[in-house]
Amino acid sequence: MILPVVFAVVGFVLGPAYDVFRLSFTRFIMGQEVAFGTLVNFKTLLADPMFLQVLRNTAIWILGGTLGCVVLGLALATFLAIESRVTTVLRALILLPWILPDVVTAMAWKWMLHGQVGIVGQTLQALGITERPMSFLGDPNFVMWVLVAVVIWRKVPLITLVLTAAIRNVPSELIEASRIDGANRWETFRYIVMPQIAFPFTAVTVISMIWMTAEFTLPWVMTGGGPANSSQIMSTYIYQQSFEFFNWGVASAMSVVNLLCLAALVTLYLTVMRRSWSRKE
Amino acid sequence: MRVTRRHFMSGAAGLAVAGTAPLGLSRPARAASGTIAVWKFGGTPREVEFWAKQNEVFLKANPDVKLEYSYFNGQMRRQKMQAALQTGQIPDVIVGFGQDVPELATFKAIQPLNDLAGDKLAGWQERIVPQILTNGNFDGKLYGLPVYVDMAPFLAYNIDALKEADFDGPPRTWSELRDYAKKLTKPDRPGFAFPATTAPGDINIFESVAYMNGGRVYDPATGKVTLDDRGVVDALQFYVDLVKDLSTPSAASMAETNFRDTAQLFAQGRVAMWIAFSWLNTPWGTPETLNWTGAPFPRPDKPSGGQAPVNALMDSSAILFISASTQNPEAALSYVDFWSQNEQLLMWDGDPEYSRIPAAKAAWDTPELAQKWPSWVEAYKGGTLFAGAEPIPRFVGVTQVETALGAAIQEAILERKSPEQALADAAAAAQQQIDLLK
Repeated sequence: MILPVVFAVVGFVLGPAYDVFRLSFTRFIMGQEVAFGTLVNFKTLLADPMFLQVLRNTAIWILGGTLGCVVLGLALATFLAIESRVTTVLRALILLPWILPDVVTAMAWKWMLHGQVGIVGQTLQALGITERPMSFLGDPNFVMWVLVAVVIWRKVPLITLVLTAAIRNVPSELIEASRIDGANRWETFRYIVMPQIAFPFTAVTVISMIWMTAEFTLPWVMTGGGPANSSQIMSTYIYQQSFEFFNWGVASAMSVVNLLCLAALVTLYLTVMRRSWSRKE
Repeated sequence: MRVTRRHFMSGAAGLAVAGTAPLGLSRPARAASGTIAVWKFGGTPREVEFWAKQNEVFLKANPDVKLEYSYFNGQMRRQKMQAALQTGQIPDVIVGFGQDVPELATFKAIQPLNDLAGDKLAGWQERIVPQILTNGNFDGKLYGLPVYVDMAPFLAYNIDALKEADFDGPPRTWSELRDYAKKLTKPDRPGFAFPATTAPGDINIFESVAYMNGGRVYDPATGKVTLDDRGVVDALQFYVDLVKDLSTPSAASMAETNFRDTAQLFAQGRVAMWIAFSWLNTPWGTPETLNWTGAPFPRPDKPSGGQAPVNALMDSSAILFISASTQNPEAALSYVDFWSQNEQLLMWDGDPEYSRIPAAKAAWDTPELAQKWPSWVEAYKGGTLFAGAEPIPRFVGVTQVETALGAAIQEAILERKSPEQALADAAAAAQQQIDLLK
């Protein structure tokens, strides 16, 4: 019974992962393998002045996106967990951003945020908030934060729904008991609800980190890494190195670094959160 | 468009000599057999439709040939070809871009046509404009058969806007352009716009301006990236000056507006002039009410680059290659030869397709082209259309150099770095990437 799963994991997960590790120690020229067993790709990566900027942008992307998704998701879930007709309707409507295809979402936001024809900039100007329409995606100072905002809008619905379900599963007796004991709303939320939803909360946080790391379509379609590389993140830079420059060795080395960073981040987070699960047990 | 297109490129006479050899006669393709795979990348909707239709004609003329034809977006050609190289699944015929010739040839994905074509070569030379046919050359050999080219840089301008500002003709020099742009600028309509995203088309447009100034992006003799050449730096300074004059949309806005979007802005009357390839607004159309035309882009007042100024860059974005690994070279050659016939090449004679500069000598004698682009025909017949024109920069590693250049253009116009600094950094970054290829 378990064999098909083993084959699938080996064929579709371990096999490609092994290939990436192997490629990271292989020298390629225009897609042609010329030498194996070299650190040249990692050395090239470290010597690349762009790499530091890519790491910085990626940190903003992953941490900003994850934090935004879970904090906003938790806030929305707390509201949507309240039983009422309005929240019932909203629980369905909130899924709308989630069901749109990635490319459609990216193109729609790209045009809404465009400096000359975008509705967002024009609205801000009409309201007198800005003197002229702003170019949100053309300004290197804004672009990463705008991308983070869009990705939060895109990813938050599912996180909200998962957390809503978790909050609604918290036994009502516990909440009533805390109130009888004199706890206010914040104390009930902090000391009763949060420990009860610690596991799903951890799960969605980890999933968010992985989503952010793997996300490519949204930043690539919206900015292509620009302007002036100010929104170049790991996924887009790996794509550029591998499929535009055909530096597959360097791209693989970057993927390995990416994977190690993500693994370290997730391990650290899980280690910290393990205490919460222990408390619940 | 109205009568204005008749005057398009009225100043094209500044460009130099073209051959006007006698018309070639169409010859039927030699009978061939077997299966050939053909991948076509890019093209306007009219072209894509026509290509598929003419494939049927080819099959009727070659009943023993089976054609496996696939069409792909032009922007994914490098990825598709690289995947094909890795898996050994290169199609027999590739309809790609001229800029790819050095890489495809160097990595032996395509083969020279000189020997393979045999007596067909004379027919190609007879039917195709020689300056356009050279776009298929690399290392002294012919690797591809172009069916048209695009040229840059050109200027599209709103005739009514110019009249309103008391100009009776387009600007001729860079300093005139700055002056025009300032005077044409209104609070809700900048005088001039240039596309400045990292899209290859936007970068190619800038390259054409830099080459016009005697700049070069790469020296094939030394293998050195020359983005910091004076001609390139001054061309970028020219872009920056236009932004500082406040006669363009904001720099941030142009950094997110590619050539298609800039064409839309011009069509909507949101800018008075813009720089483009020879197709200008034709692939997307303009409202009947917009009174516009095109002209050669203004020249630098005094070219400052170290090389000879180039009047225009030619980009052949439909060029037929034959795979080096084809198992059926005769059928592949028949297909290429089929597309060298006037019946096919006249697709680009102004009817139905008028966005391209046709490769067929015969196209330049058709009433359709004369009606659509009278000044092109006049310049061609006067021997000036292709004078001083060169193929677009192409060498192994061109993508790396152009990617670095795209970032440098944005850094300079956004005032994050001076043009000198941005291009020096870009040259260093591109050199590092190019050296990886050695």
